[in-house]
Amino acid sequence: MATETIAARGSSLRTWLVLLIIWEICGRLQLIASGALPAPSSILMRLWIDRADYPPHILATLEGAGVGFLIGNGIAVAAGVLFALFPMAARLGRGVNIALFALPAIAISPLLVLTFSDMTPRIILAAIGCYFVTMSSTVTGISQTDQRMIEVIRAYGGGRWKILVLAQMRSALPAILSGLRIAAPNAVLGSILAEFGGGGRYGLGVYLIGSLGRAEPDRLWGIGLAATLIAGLAYAVFSLIALRFTGATKAVTVPATAPGGATMSWPLWLRLLLSTGSVVIPIALWWLLLIAMGTPAMIAKTPLGLFEYLFLQPNSQASQMKLLAALGQTLPLTIAGMALGIAFAFGLALMSVLRPGIIRGFMPVALVTQTMPLVALTPLLVLILGRGPSLILWITISVTFFPAFVTMAQGLSMVPRAALDVPRAYGASLFTQLRLVSVPASLPYLFAATRLAVPRALLGVMIAEWLATGTGLGNLLNQSRGYLDYGMIWAVAVVSVLLSVVFYQCVVLIERPVLARRGMRAAQ
Amino acid sequence: MTGPSGIRLDTVSRSFKGRGTTVQALDNVSLDCPAGSFTALIGPSGCGKSTLLRLALGLDQADSGEVSIAGLAPMDAARAGMTGVAFQDAALMPWRSVEDNIALPLDVLGQPRRDNAAKIASLIDLVGLAGFEKALPGELSGGMRQRVAIARSLVTNPQVLFLDEPFGALDQILRRQMNVELQRIWIASRATTLLVTHGIDEAVFLADRVAVMQSKPGRITRIIDIPLMRPRGPDVFTSAEFHRLEDEIAGALNGH
Ligand SMILES: Nc1ncnc2c1ncn2[C@@H]1O[C@H](COP(=O)(O)OP(=O)(O)OP(=O)(O)O)[C@@H](O)[C@H]1O
Ligand SMILES: [Mg+2]
Repeated sequence: MATETIAARGSSLRTWLVLLIIWEICGRLQLIASGALPAPSSILMRLWIDRADYPPHILATLEGAGVGFLIGNGIAVAAGVLFALFPMAARLGRGVNIALFALPAIAISPLLVLTFSDMTPRIILAAIGCYFVTMSSTVTGISQTDQRMIEVIRAYGGGRWKILVLAQMRSALPAILSGLRIAAPNAVLGSILAEFGGGGRYGLGVYLIGSLGRAEPDRLWGIGLAATLIAGLAYAVFSLIALRFTGATKAVTVPATAPGGATMSWPLWLRLLLSTGSVVIPIALWWLLLIAMGTPAMIAKTPLGLFEYLFLQPNSQASQMKLLAALGQTLPLTIAGMALGIAFAFGLALMSVLRPGIIRGFMPVALVTQTMPLVALTPLLVLILGRGPSLILWITISVTFFPAFVTMAQGLSMVPRAALDVPRAYGASLFTQLRLVSVPASLPYLFAATRLAVPRALLGVMIAEWLATGTGLGNLLNQSRGYLDYGMIWAVAVVSVLLSVVFYQCVVLIERPVLARRGMRAAQ
Repeated sequence: MTGPSGIRLDTVSRSFKGRGTTVQALDNVSLDCPAGSFTALIGPSGCGKSTLLRLALGLDQADSGEVSIAGLAPMDAARAGMTGVAFQDAALMPWRSVEDNIALPLDVLGQPRRDNAAKIASLIDLVGLAGFEKALPGELSGGMRQRVAIARSLVTNPQVLFLDEPFGALDQILRRQMNVELQRIWIASRATTLLVTHGIDEAVFLADRVAVMQSKPGRITRIIDIPLMRPRGPDVFTSAEFHRLEDEIAGALNGH
């Protein structure tokens, strides 16, 4: 076992070395897109030359991301506990949750910068980036607590609170930690996206934007590397903590008790009421927030103002046409990229059961593609891949892939030992073990990962469209920013949220009957 | 009817709706366990023994009929700290050490652990796990985990004790030892005990009365008194009276 680990580590080290050498050669000889990919040595050299510039930028980004991380996750865990304990609250909050999750950071960053001063937009975007991931993993963790433990506590007269404190919080810890490790790079990304929107002199995003015009790929790569490093370190810290807790938490036997689910027995009128509420609440919040902040009506469109813009004004027709045309370009690529990203993640997660070395070897690569702020990566990818649809596809795959992979690998690693022991005892091949145990057990996580992927895919497409291809919703957003067409900015933001919600609901519609047939419960 | 800590089930029924089928797990079951008595529940797999136990613990609600512990609703008795339980499944918390798992009921009931440290240590000794105080459940064998669950059921000095096949994963020798120990504990505490078991010998050795169940629908078909003197030593297992009682129960299980 030990030698196996060392061997795996050695081989992944070798892979990295080989990759690095190939990269160096390509860079030196300017093989890729005539110098768009500088050699690692010249990136490092440039980093050294620029070393005095970095500290204030890094500190500023860390501040925005760090404060946002704390606030966002604090709210997320509290909300997760609330939603897990009170299904009704979960149903009511669903609209807000999905809207927050689907909120395209690039769309609201200009709006935030206009409304708030220095750090606040960064903190808000970083917090929003953390919220959904952590909230949903808290709910998953709590609701998947071994029913048998809960029964022991109940048998001694323990109520909701005791069950939460003694069993559910602790058993949710690995899930929460794995949520936090996805949230950490998200917070960095959120802060950087807000920095792009303007405001403030310092921050890696500010630095990057400032260097963007100057055809210096090695500096761009250096900044990207610094951002990646911060995100990667945050990820690593939480992975280490998670590892420490998952080992002790893995149940030794398979719970036979069916998970209780009272929610399905709600009367129809109550379900209708809750559904309506979950739709009304985000809209009401949107309205209330605008009133509370006192944003000028020119910039801040209320739901009513947006309706007016899209349907009642003289140029509404033209606006509608623009919006629909952009949608037609964005949608197909989003769906294709998402499907590929998830398929890739599922395949790799299954392989990681067969060859645990894969996780160790591949995680860093996945992490780099994820945390390398897309906005930094996109100009470089443009030089390498050109401005065609394949660029959008690649970017979308890479944004979808990583969180999906983490979610599914996590799900598979929680499969109890005893469940795998039975087929193994009958000499089942690894493939049979996968088919009989791992795949069925990971189904809830596959669905959860798909739901997670939807808005990310859309975000990836929009960023690529904005920065590179000049098509679709992303481009429309960028143009409208230039024309100070705030109505259109709001329209794009709302349409992209609605799109995500529709996608999300489609997944839920498939998920419910599939899991119900297998006596399983959805992982939130 | 029931004394200060008796268990009483009065015409209790419980059915489960599965996928398209309905299982009548309990059909008009009545059982009266007087305070301080030891009752064994025996019957074929799936006849509703665990279901009966869960109803008596307040973990599940009967479709009809009354359940009371010491005259209280099951949940109230549990909250008062009167009950102890060991499930068929050890159901330990994988992140708690042996010691901490045993102390769980104290944490639930809000009793300070300090006052019970000696009690916990003696229970660990009793179930033969000395030296494993700090071990996690994942590092124990199936039988060891079950012994932790038994120790856990005793930590609150319960007046009413529910045991669902607590010795199922133990070897025959250890099982006999644990039977003798359980009898000793029971004589000292006189807790009203309801023991679910598959072992006829275990039932005869430990119980005052053996309730025999049949399935489809789940019901109690006979109650057989065990008039053997206490304390019963290991030699009881070989006595003629013991064998006669065993045969009688086996006959009842076969529907005679
Ligand atoms: N939560 C449940 N949902 C559906 N059916 C159930 C449930 N719990 C028990 N049953 C059914 O009720 C019947 C009695 O189950 P129970 O667990 O009480 O049996 P048992 O006598 O304890 O069996 P064993 O000796 O094997 O433990 C079984 O047919 C079982 O399928
Ligand atoms: Mg049972």
